[in-house]
Parts: sequence; structure tokens; C-alpha cells
Amino acid sequence: MDVKEAGHLPITSEGDMITCRKAIRTLATSAGFGMTDVTRIVTSVSELARNIYTHAGSDGVMRWRILLQADKVGLELIFEDQGIGIANIEQAMQPGFTTANSLGMGMSGVKRLMDEMDVHSEVGVGTTVKIMKWGRAK
Amino acid sequence: MEGDSLSVIKLKDILLVTVPDDPGDNVIQELQVKVLNAMEKFGSKGLLLDISSVNVLDSFFARTISETTQMVALMGGRTIIAGMQPSVAITATELGLHLGKAQTTLDVDRALDIFSDSSS
Amino acid sequence: MYHTQSKYIASFNEWTEQKEFINFTEEDESYLKKLHPYAMNYADECVEMLYEHLLKHDATRKFLTDEKTLNRLKLTQKAYFLDLTSGDYGEDYFNGRIKIGMVHQRIGLPPQMYLSTFCYYLQTIIPKIYSYPDLGTETANKMFMALYKIICLDQELAISAYIHAVDEVITRQTEEILEMSTPVIQVWEGVVAAPIIGTLDSNRTHQFMERLLETIVATNSPVALVDITGVPQIDTATAQHLIDTINAVRLLGSQVIITGVRPAIAQTLVHLGIDLTDIITRPTMASGLKVALDRLSLRVIDMPKGMQGV
Repeated sequence: MDVKEAGHLPITSEGDMITCRKAIRTLATSAGFGMTDVTRIVTSVSELARNIYTHAGSDGVMRWRILLQADKVGLELIFEDQGIGIANIEQAMQPGFTTANSLGMGMSGVKRLMDEMDVHSEVGVGTTVKIMKWGRAK
Repeated sequence: MEGDSLSVIKLKDILLVTVPDDPGDNVIQELQVKVLNAMEKFGSKGLLLDISSVNVLDSFFARTISETTQMVALMGGRTIIAGMQPSVAITATELGLHLGKAQTTLDVDRALDIFSDSSS
Repeated sequence: MYHTQSKYIASFNEWTEQKEFINFTEEDESYLKKLHPYAMNYADECVEMLYEHLLKHDATRKFLTDEKTLNRLKLTQKAYFLDLTSGDYGEDYFNGRIKIGMVHQRIGLPPQMYLSTFCYYLQTIIPKIYSYPDLGTETANKMFMALYKIICLDQELAISAYIHAVDEVITRQTEEILEMSTPVIQVWEGVVAAPIIGTLDSNRTHQFMERLLETIVATNSPVALVDITGVPQIDTATAQHLIDTINAVRLLGSQVIITGVRPAIAQTLVHLGIDLTDIITRPTMASGLKVALDRLSLRVIDMPKGMQGV
């Protein structure tokens, strides 16, 4: 597996969330993802970035990598924060989990939009969410 | 563009709002406040939300639309959302988003037809 | 999607599992290594015998038409031959064998000829192994067994190259069929129709969903007829995608009418436990069209006689 490009952006304010969305939209589009996949990816960025700056209670960062494997292009996104953490990840991943003002909202939806999703969290320590979308290389 | 103010336009007895392509949270929240104020000021019978430029619809935006629809209904108006983009519709469906009791139409023209039909 | 690795022997690790199954052990490797100096001795002779045989038969001679090709092949063949007893059967060996298999498939050598050649190889080598008095019968037997095992393993890789090539053609054709067979057509102002034929998988349904929605928006159609008479059954994942499609079209502001629901699909949909109350269905596309026209406040009336073409 080849890493074609990589980078990261801070998530400390609402303005950062918009920056992340725009940056990933450009990235995903130029990597060759179709319009619907680009929308899925950007929407996932919005959900996960929002989780951080709204609920986590700490600053966070979004790291991204573009991977090449055989004839597939992959976009990997990692959302990290040192915030309050998710008490019950399994519960958060249930469809329809919508406890207002709690971390983990919208995560089951993101799981549906993405090809792979990995969540690690420890209460009081922080959360890391990794998501991945694959498409056919141009 | 992010940071741009949203305009709420009075069109006879309905309100027309054209949402920009990648609205930030503040724009979305502003939408709700401006719409409700305009509803009070003009006594409008309906809200037409034109989202034909919108290319991201996340759970926050969906929730705001749903709430706004309820609030507008309480103030005596119906809400129609027009012009959703295909990729947005697909993503919103997969995400499991709901727009509350708002009706949706393919474009603004059809929404206007519905509004004028119901008022005649 | 083009895959560069065969799913039949997809990786070196899987080939290693085959080695274990065949019982190809380190002992075999050492016997082959022991055989190597003898192999270097009789390599040229065996290669000559092989090509003499190949040239005698129409099926193989046609690949050996010119002198230059023939000589080049003999050299490659000798290298291949000596690799058998090299003692190293790791990832490089594996990759090399796969590559050779692919070359043979590409030039059009029928797989049975390729496999038979392996058999002929053995016929040239076995007498040689037993021809050396200093080896002794037991050693010669062990060498024979080891050689037989490695040739079997080579054959597996050769065959996987052929299967993989066929697999690629199938994949490519499937994609083409996918594109051709989910048309979305505007049948009237305001109505699009999409007859789906064949098995629906995730990939196809995603493509269909995109195409349907884009056409609805492009033609500004408040009604979409989706006919699934040609879809005998679907799995739960695809059923979910179909429901998503209906909901996505609704979000746009259009109405989906599903026609031609087969018994198996009716079962799957109900068992999924989704709320199906808002989904409009009709038994045929024709009856669905009636509903569509009704929605658009259109009516088809009989023309008075003699008015056709006016």
C-alpha cells in the first residue's frame, strides 16, 4: 500500500470545521471519487468534526492520508481529540442513538456512509475515530 | 460563502430563503432566527427553503430544518424544501436524516405552485 | 474493478498453505537442492527433448515458428528448469511462477497443453534421476517425490493465472452489462421509468440509485416507476439499498412507484421490518403508469374515430 499524500488540519472552532469540509471536498474530488462518494465523505467529516468541537470539550485534529492499493484509491481520515471520551462506544454506534448533547451522535450514520470505521475512546482521556473510503483509481 | 448573511425574501404571502452551498453553523442558526422574525413581521403562510446550491446536509442542518418547520407550523405556516441535489438526498437517506414534517419538491417553481394552490 | 491478484491463489501466504497441505517440507527442499548439480548436468538435454516434442505437435508448434523465439524460449525454459531445484521456494519463486503462467495465458497457449507440458517434463527427468548409481534408490525416490510435489505446486500457480485471466474478462463484462442494463428513461413529461433486470447487488444498486436520482432531477419528474419484475430475489443488504433509493427519491420531492414485486422480494421486504406503508406498489408497470398519470393530473382518453394523425 502506497501513501500518495498526507496532511492534517486543526479542529478548534466552527471555522475549522468548514475549512476541513472544503479541504476534504477538494481532496476527494481530485482523488477521483464520484460526486455521491465525495458528498458521503464530506458529510462524515462534518459529523465527526462537529462531535469534537461541540461535545468533546477539547481541541482536536483531523489527519488525512490518500492511499493507493492495486487499482483502488483510499481516503483515510482520523479524528483525534483529548476530550471527555465516549462512555459506551457500542451504544453510540447503534442506529438512532441521538442523546442530545452527547459525544457520539451521528456515528452510526457515518459508519453507513464509509467503508471502514474504527473507534477508540477512553473516558476522560480522549477519542480517536478512523474512517476510510475506497474508490476506483483514475 | 461562509460568513455571508442569509436573506429572507418576502414573496407575496410566503418567505423565500436561498441557502448557500456550504453553510456554516452560524448561517444555519441565523436562518432559523431570521425566518421566525419574518414570519411574525409579515404573517406569512409559508416558508420556501431553496437548497439547490447546498452540497452538504449533515445531522445539524437536518435537525435545524426540522425544528424550523415545527416552529413555522406553530406560527401558522407550512414549509417546503426545494431542489435537493441527488448526492445530498442519497447521503441524507443513508445517514438516516429526517426533515420533520417539511414537504420536499424538485424545484422552486413546483413549490410556488403548491403554495398558490393551497391559498386559492 | 481490475484486480492484479487472483482470488484463486491470491497470495504467497495462501500458496504456503498449499505447500503445507501437499506436505512439501524442508526435507523436500533439501532433496531438491541435492538434485540441483545433477539437474545442471541434464538440463540442456531435457530442454532439447521437450522442444523436440513440442515441435512435433501442431497444438504447440504454432507458438514456436521462428528461430529467434525458439532460442529465447529455450533459454528461459532452462532457467525455469533449474529453478525447480534451486532450493529457494519463497516469494520470488512464487511471483516468478505466476508471471510465467500469465505470459502463457496471454499468448494463447491452452491450459491443458500447459499442464501436459509439466507431465512431459517429468518424463524426461525421472529416468535421469534414477540413472546415477551414486544416488541410491532411496535418495532417488525422495528426489522424485520432492520434484513431483514442486511441479504440482507450480501447476497450481499456472492454473490460477489462467483462471484469473478469465475472471478479469468476466469482471469487465459485468461492468459493461451493469451500465447497459439499468436504463432510466423518461416515458412522459414528469415520469421516468426504470426496469431493472437481473440480480441486484450493492454495487449495481448504488449505480442505479445515482442514475435514477440524477435523471429525475434532470427531467424534473415528480414520478418514478421502478419495475422489479425481472428481479427474482434480493439479499437483505440490497433490499436495504432499494429502500434507501425509494427514500432518497422521496427526499427529492418525487414519488416512487414500485411495480412487479415478486414473492421472494415481498418476503424479504416484510421480514426486514421496514415501514412499508408509504410505498406505492402495483403489479405491472402499465398499472403503475396509470397511477403516475393520475398523480400528474393527466388522463388518457379515446380519440374519436377518424381523428388519428390530425
